[in-house]
Amino acid sequence: MIKSSREDKTLAYQLITYVFVLTLVAFIVVTTLTQILFSGRISKSQLENMKHLAHERIYLIDGILSHVENSLEMMCFSLSALDLDNEELEGLISVAIKKDKHIHSIALAESHADHLSARVFFKEEDGLRVNVIRDANYFYEDWFQIPLMLNKPYWTEPWVDSSGSGELIISYSAPYQTEGVRGIVSIDVNLKELQRLIIDSECLQGGNSFLVSANGTIVAHNDMSLIMNQSLFSLADEYNEPKLRELGHKMISGETGFFRIRGSNIVNSRHIYYQALETNGWSVGISMKNDVLYKDMRIVLLTNTFSAILLFLIVALIIYSRAHALTKPLRELSEAALRIGGGEFDTRIPDSVAGLEVATLSQSFRFMQESLLDYIQSLDITTYEKEKMRGDVIYAGEIQSKLIPDNTDHPIGIKELRAYGILEPAGDVGGDLYDYFMIDEDRFCFVIADVVGTGIGAAMTMTMASTLLPSLAPFYTKSNELLRELNSFLCKTDIEANFITALLGIIDLKTGILQYTNAGHMPLYIRKLDGVLEKYSETHSTALGIFEDLNIGSEEIRLNVGDEIIIFTDGVTEAMSKEDEFFGLGGLEEVLSALLYSNPENTARAIVSRVHDFAVDSKYKDDITVLVIDYKHPRA
Amino acid sequence: MRFLRLTLMYLVLALLLAIPACRSKREGDYSDFYQSESAVPTNDLFVLRYRQKWHPQAQFAGVYMAMDKDFYRQYGIDLRIQPHTADSLVFSTLYNKNTDIAQMDILSGIMENKNGLKVVNIGQISQKSSQLLIGKRSRGINSIEDFNGKKIGLWRTASHYVSRIFLAKENLDMEIVPVNWSINLFTSNAIEVINVMRFNEYNQMLQAGLKEEDLFIADLSELGCNIPDDGFFVTKEFYDQHSDICKRFVSATMDGWHYAFAHPEEALDLVMTLMRKESIPASRSHQKWMFNEMRKLILLPDRIPGKLNKQDYLRAVSLLQEFYLPVKAYSFEEFCPGD
Repeated sequence: MIKSSREDKTLAYQLITYVFVLTLVAFIVVTTLTQILFSGRISKSQLENMKHLAHERIYLIDGILSHVENSLEMMCFSLSALDLDNEELEGLISVAIKKDKHIHSIALAESHADHLSARVFFKEEDGLRVNVIRDANYFYEDWFQIPLMLNKPYWTEPWVDSSGSGELIISYSAPYQTEGVRGIVSIDVNLKELQRLIIDSECLQGGNSFLVSANGTIVAHNDMSLIMNQSLFSLADEYNEPKLRELGHKMISGETGFFRIRGSNIVNSRHIYYQALETNGWSVGISMKNDVLYKDMRIVLLTNTFSAILLFLIVALIIYSRAHALTKPLRELSEAALRIGGGEFDTRIPDSVAGLEVATLSQSFRFMQESLLDYIQSLDITTYEKEKMRGDVIYAGEIQSKLIPDNTDHPIGIKELRAYGILEPAGDVGGDLYDYFMIDEDRFCFVIADVVGTGIGAAMTMTMASTLLPSLAPFYTKSNELLRELNSFLCKTDIEANFITALLGIIDLKTGILQYTNAGHMPLYIRKLDGVLEKYSETHSTALGIFEDLNIGSEEIRLNVGDEIIIFTDGVTEAMSKEDEFFGLGGLEEVLSALLYSNPENTARAIVSRVHDFAVDSKYKDDITVLVIDYKHPRA
Repeated sequence: MRFLRLTLMYLVLALLLAIPACRSKREGDYSDFYQSESAVPTNDLFVLRYRQKWHPQAQFAGVYMAMDKDFYRQYGIDLRIQPHTADSLVFSTLYNKNTDIAQMDILSGIMENKNGLKVVNIGQISQKSSQLLIGKRSRGINSIEDFNGKKIGLWRTASHYVSRIFLAKENLDMEIVPVNWSINLFTSNAIEVINVMRFNEYNQMLQAGLKEEDLFIADLSELGCNIPDDGFFVTKEFYDQHSDICKRFVSATMDGWHYAFAHPEEALDLVMTLMRKESIPASRSHQKWMFNEMRKLILLPDRIPGKLNKQDYLRAVSLLQEFYLPVKAYSFEEFCPGD
């Protein structure tokens, strides 16, 4: 699916689709125009041909029938005007039959009931045969009864000559009057003679000619099953085709014209030309199937279709090959770009001769490649320098870590308290500090501080502070004094990253009195032996290193046995979850409240562990420092 | 087990024998429809000779269907259909014992008994008259009164009685021209009016290009001359001897008609096959028309199919006596002894 959708978007595919739609539209327009403009003309020539075919047949059939009519007229005249005896009469009939090969037989029938006599003369090889009919049945035959009643000549419908040859014949009969006798003389023509003229045709490929009698009966047709069985009207009933009935009425009315029948039956989709015979009023029809009539136009349409397909294929092939050639450098360029993207910066950008646009694109790519190479080169240098600097920083970090006291069961060899600190710098070097040391034999000093800022500057400030404090401490008895001195130092150095928040405390190991100063730092917590938390959040000054004449206070707390002092930097409370929520003092208090027993290491690790869990997905990192001091008992 | 094997063997044997018999029927060999009288009769079947009124066409579809479906044999009859003969000779063939059953119209049957009860009706096909008198409007025929002074073509044989009764009843003065079965005298304008059967010649006219709207039609069944057409006749003597056979013949024939009405296409196929076999001009559409008209003549809501209605008989006798010929009137029970 992905492959096919990619193919759908190729230039060649889009162009070929466009050309296909264009060719299709052009083909439809041309085909429609061809049909509109040429159908009439093509039909007309074919219809003229049909007309010609009909005339030809009418001429031949009328030729036979008019000859019969003339013979009958002559015979009637001879019978009525000349007083012929039997021998003369037979001689006359014999001549008429022999002279006209189309005459099948001649009947002479008297109409008087007392003189029942009808003689039928047949042509035979050795002369003339005569059948004499003496029953009255002929009185009621059409050939006798109708002309007698009409008193004029009459062409019969085809009928079976059961008393003679047994074949289908048609009769032309006329009344005659001799002295005292009235009768009918009738000339019979074998229907086959007429059928042969209609059916025998080599010029009617894809068409039919047919002959219908005065009452619409089909008397000649290629389809033998229709002859005498069907009339145009019975076919109209059978196929429920009213148009056929309409045609039948036109044909038996002696009309001439063209007729079109649409349908899906024996007369399906045909054009019919019909014209009546001049003699007996029968009608000749020439029918052509529409697909035959439109054969020439179909060839034109077929040629159009074939041409359109061929044209489309050729154009599509050209487009495909040209598009392929045009897009080849693009593909090569794309492959080269992919390789460059994969890190092979020395990949050769192919030269293009395909066209100005592609050549310009290649040039742009080459320029981009060169720029990229320059950039990579300078990046290498930068990276090298950065790595070198980083090495220095890491080294500085290691030095910094050495400044932090090691965690032991008895810090600085003191048994009255335990201390455990954790400092996790966010980077290679940290801006946080914790430290503890003995000022003199009985006084234990601890400090936690956080330089406002990060990086080397902060680390340097912190390093300075951590080395300065132990050296200053012996000269001061109060925590606030010590910090005031630190503040003065920081203000004097006047470097950018020297603002420090700090909490410094001095525990008198003999009295258990903690004297401490909070200079803008986080609160101090004391967890009592029974688990109750005491929070000392009052600060005694702002951060150090900002104002030189800083008024710094202090506070004293009497420590009880088992009290655990917990101090920390803002890396703990400002740790941020992925939902941008702070760990806060609440989080810390929760950890402390949940602790089951007092142990500095346990407490410090629990805090840091919980902070890590809380800020596991956070983007923000800060130094995390926790110092926990457990006052076990006063010095003896 | 032995009994079961024997039964199975006989079943297979019976099937093998039945298959060729079925096949021969389906291949469309209807030569046995018109068996010669010398054909060997099937054992235990009564050989019955039935003479049709006309050549094969849908008018007799029920008989053909009953033959095709072996209904006659099931009723114990080996039927021989005889070709039609001139109307005037039909009853003679009964008297000289060339025929056992003849199909003729009721009036001809009543007329035949004018000198004593010679023929009896054993069954009735048509329950109403199908005769029409038709005139061309273009020849000035727009009402029955217009018939006066015109030439009318009436069949020259028996079936013209209803038309003659009608002319007398309506007191119409017309020149009667005896005609055969052709309608060409009418289409060629040699006569102005002609009698036709609705089921046959009337549709032939329409299929010869005449338009219904150009014709004036006098339907005799609606003009006080509703006398049923065809019934089955036998001699009284034959009936006295074989009344049961007569009943069985009518039953089988009516079964044939009912089957045909239930399977019209099959019936038409059969009729067309028989007509082609006899080389009779045939168009399916005309035969279909005839078949449908026969249905209207046979299945009337207030008539028992296959039986002559007493009132119809009495009306026929009365009309005949009043307007055509004072024939001797036998009671319905005498004329139609089956009831």
